[in-house]
Amino acid sequence: MLLNRSTSRDRWRVRPDGPGKVTGKLAYLTDMTAPNMLHGMVLRSPHPHARIVSIQTEKAMAMAGVHAVLTYADVPGLNRFGIAHPDHPVFCEDRVRFVGDAVAAVAADTPELAAEALKRIEVVYEPLPVVDDPELALRDDAPRLHEQGNVLHSNDYAFGDLEAAFAACAHIVEETYVTPRQMHVYMETEGGLFVPEENGRLTVYSPTQHGFMDRMQLARILNRPEADIRVVSSPIGGSFGGKDELNVQPYGALLALACGRPVKLHNSRFESVRAGLKRHPMRIAMRTGADASGKLLAHQARIVSDAGPYSTLSAEVLNFAVEHVLGPYRYGAAEVKSVSVFTNNGMSGEFRGFGGNQAIFALEGQLDRLAGKLGMDPWELRRLNLRKPEDPGPFGQPIVPTDGARQVWEALLESRLWRERSSPSAEARPREPWRKIGYGAAFVMHGSGLGVGIPDPAGGRLALAADGKIEAAFGYEEFGQGLIASLEQMLVESYGFGPGDLRIVIGDTDVVPDSGSSTASRATSMMWKSLRRLHGPFTERLLGAAAEALGREARTLRIGEGGIRSLESGELLLSYGDLARAASEPIVCETSFSFPASPVERVGSHYLYTYCSVAVKAEVDTRTGRVRVLDQFHAVAAGPVVNPQGFLGQIEGGSGMALGFALTEDAVMEKGVYLTRNLDTYLIPTIAELSGTFEVLPIEELPEGDEHGPRGIGEVGSVGLAPAIAQAVYDATGKRASKLPIDPELLQERFRAE
Amino acid sequence: MAMEEKERLRSPSVWLPRDPGEAVRLKEAFGGDAVYVAGSTLLRTQWEAGTAPVPAHLIDLASIPGLDRIEETDDGLVIGSLARLRDCAAHPAAAGKAPLLVSAVKAIAGASVRNQATLGGNVVYRVGDSMPALLALDAELIWHDGRTEETIGAAEWLAGPSARPGILTAIRLPDRESGMTSNRRRWFAFHKVGRREAFVPSLVTVAIAASVAPDGTIADIRIAAGGGQTVPRRLTDAERLLAGRIPDAELLEHVYDAALEQYAPAPDPFAADSYRKRTAANLIAAELWKSLREPDRAGKGDGDASESID
Repeated sequence: MLLNRSTSRDRWRVRPDGPGKVTGKLAYLTDMTAPNMLHGMVLRSPHPHARIVSIQTEKAMAMAGVHAVLTYADVPGLNRFGIAHPDHPVFCEDRVRFVGDAVAAVAADTPELAAEALKRIEVVYEPLPVVDDPELALRDDAPRLHEQGNVLHSNDYAFGDLEAAFAACAHIVEETYVTPRQMHVYMETEGGLFVPEENGRLTVYSPTQHGFMDRMQLARILNRPEADIRVVSSPIGGSFGGKDELNVQPYGALLALACGRPVKLHNSRFESVRAGLKRHPMRIAMRTGADASGKLLAHQARIVSDAGPYSTLSAEVLNFAVEHVLGPYRYGAAEVKSVSVFTNNGMSGEFRGFGGNQAIFALEGQLDRLAGKLGMDPWELRRLNLRKPEDPGPFGQPIVPTDGARQVWEALLESRLWRERSSPSAEARPREPWRKIGYGAAFVMHGSGLGVGIPDPAGGRLALAADGKIEAAFGYEEFGQGLIASLEQMLVESYGFGPGDLRIVIGDTDVVPDSGSSTASRATSMMWKSLRRLHGPFTERLLGAAAEALGREARTLRIGEGGIRSLESGELLLSYGDLARAASEPIVCETSFSFPASPVERVGSHYLYTYCSVAVKAEVDTRTGRVRVLDQFHAVAAGPVVNPQGFLGQIEGGSGMALGFALTEDAVMEKGVYLTRNLDTYLIPTIAELSGTFEVLPIEELPEGDEHGPRGIGEVGSVGLAPAIAQAVYDATGKRASKLPIDPELLQERFRAE
Repeated sequence: MAMEEKERLRSPSVWLPRDPGEAVRLKEAFGGDAVYVAGSTLLRTQWEAGTAPVPAHLIDLASIPGLDRIEETDDGLVIGSLARLRDCAAHPAAAGKAPLLVSAVKAIAGASVRNQATLGGNVVYRVGDSMPALLALDAELIWHDGRTEETIGAAEWLAGPSARPGILTAIRLPDRESGMTSNRRRWFAFHKVGRREAFVPSLVTVAIAASVAPDGTIADIRIAAGGGQTVPRRLTDAERLLAGRIPDAELLEHVYDAALEQYAPAPDPFAADSYRKRTAANLIAAELWKSLREPDRAGKGDGDASESID
């Protein structure tokens, strides 16, 4: 059954955080102010690559109203950050490696004064040659950006006799796929409020996807115990991976402690573009061959990823891409070589899809090209080579078996959109000769969780608070995805609480347990699992205490809206407030565990997967070469739908991002400098692009005995649309787009009157 | 704090002249330290991007009464320079007399900008997306230099120097057909192509206004093209090929070539000139083809300019 408002019936709920967001009443962390607050700003390098000869801060410091001017000399702890490998300077010492590199920071009475003070800081640079192409960066004669050279990470994988396999192929396709430097474009740019407390602690109000990780990194920079830092991190005005790494927090924290006063920082959009993370631009060269029947015999891929100047999660993104260029298909032999390269371009990092978007665009492109050579239906070619439920994962690792691959394959075949393709009705055919319609589809197998080799803790806590609220505390973040709504829905549906009974506590390191990061499509799965683990003990504790208070047997009671109710009649017997007052000891249950991982050594291997198929109908206007997406169908096999509205929102929203990735978005750089400095030239889709028909079919069925429940859906929606569009464009025009966003010039034709 | 610093951190003074003469005198008094402001939507993007300094004085033309009027006259339509783009697009007289302009105006920026921005501001920008439509409509610009009014054709103004003393007070769209016992069919077309479907800087804009005799002969046609930083121009070679002719497939080929040749876009960092030239030529040829195939769609005196962004 298609997922929408009407089919969801009473499971379609108003989001608890919805009214505040749509009315603008909700205060985000970057809306906060504090009495006596100063304004912070960061001086960033104007050069993509330069040696710092000298930094003079005296003139800025001498200005009235300027309270601190900091450089690397003022960092008490580690002058570096980075989730996986801290090599990103908080402040550069003697060299800048990209146009976002920080050299100094200022706190002043007003933002205008802070901006003026930045101009008074005198930095003498000696420009160095700019390394703006990862392929050139790999050459022996390229300037070395780091002591270890320009290779950040490489990761190869191979099985079978590749040469023999290619020799046996009847058809081989070769192509190089190029993907853009996509920007997250959260509505709320990076920022926060940093408050030194009277007791000597520091409170950080700043969006992040993992409060405890920020706390650890800040403790390392500030050289203070983690316990002295409180990170308040939700609500967040969008993140999509872009705020998982530290951004302005080191500057806010250092300035606030230096001044002994609250400091606010909030990036302008220009600064966000310049300093913020982007999706890794990748060049993926592929060679794929099949026998005469279409059976895949050989598959070879070489991935070159542009990391920008520092590590953040570039190695992990590359590992993910290596796994996903192999994807859901079975090959006789395969070989993947990959390298993530330091350059003087903008910083690349974590972004929804995590390297899968680039990988799947290339892999699905190969299947479509091969089908063309075979004269075979592209969707049939996929079926022929698709994994079976019991098959191992892309790295040969054991994975949790589901029938998702077959299910989404079939669902697409039976969809209204795909059936229209086989028998397009007359009205679907445009009258004007320059309008060309095409259909395309793509298959996605996407891993969730951080993968083998990375600590992946999970957990949560339920308590009956003293005021009678049922308190659910999780270390996850609400960045628009509907986490609070999903948590509420699970507590209502699986425990029987009423929405008014609940208090949801997230995003505050002082009060929540460490549940791991809100990344990698993991948060909802881990909340579901936590609540399942807590269900027995917490229910038992509540009913036991109620039984004692009421002088009845626990087995005659149940949890209900407003309080403990009679199992038989449903009558309310004891409110949660009265229960809290009556209970002899606090009722608190906590659970902690790890995201399930495959029992193998290979770093980054995944264990749980979501399967997705995407069909698209697109129109190309050959006068202008512009592409419009008219109709989309997404089948998603991810287990039970926890929150219908959230599910639909994730797939629609992800697809919107993929549409931009395919058609309009690219943070263009020239010699290490952004040409697209603002949202007037960096173009995300508008309602005009997103107005086509959109259908989502969730496949909720899981094999009997499956204990993992709902799989991640936060990223899959952003993966499959781009290759499906590229195939639809080919279907319409006969032209293959291997570079994204698709260049309209490629599709333009001279108009000729008939 | 030193005086100089205070000066730098100060917000600009906003002046509210009561008539064009006062506005021009203020500008003469402050010189380069002042700028005229209408909707300020373009200026604000320049200030934010650091491509233009925030001046010490802003002369707010919106304070001059009557500059935002839109009115039908005996021989055409007059739109005050301070008329908001939103009001130009929604005004019944504009829809009746100048659907081509309405299409162009609706394609400018986004709704929130159109609520604030003015037609005069878009014109004075010189590369605004309304300009090709105004050229195709043979619009006249009414300027006030502080003492007297002067009327100058839009094309003539664009051909001259960009700096001109005084302010633009109105845009006049003459009704060229009025008075004729016209059995001619009029049609219009406007296209804006950018890198996105809406709220986007243009790469190519094309505007066509034509009148056609009952036998299909093109009696009169004006074709104008712009886009991005291109100062819009009439494509006179294509116009000449078409005037007095009944277009056919062969003629359209020549028109395509003539448009391709004459349209000279200013360079854009995000699209090749070759692409933009082909786009302009394609759109012009395709519109003519449509007018042949579906002569009724344009209707008498009721141009088809519905495809504002195509």
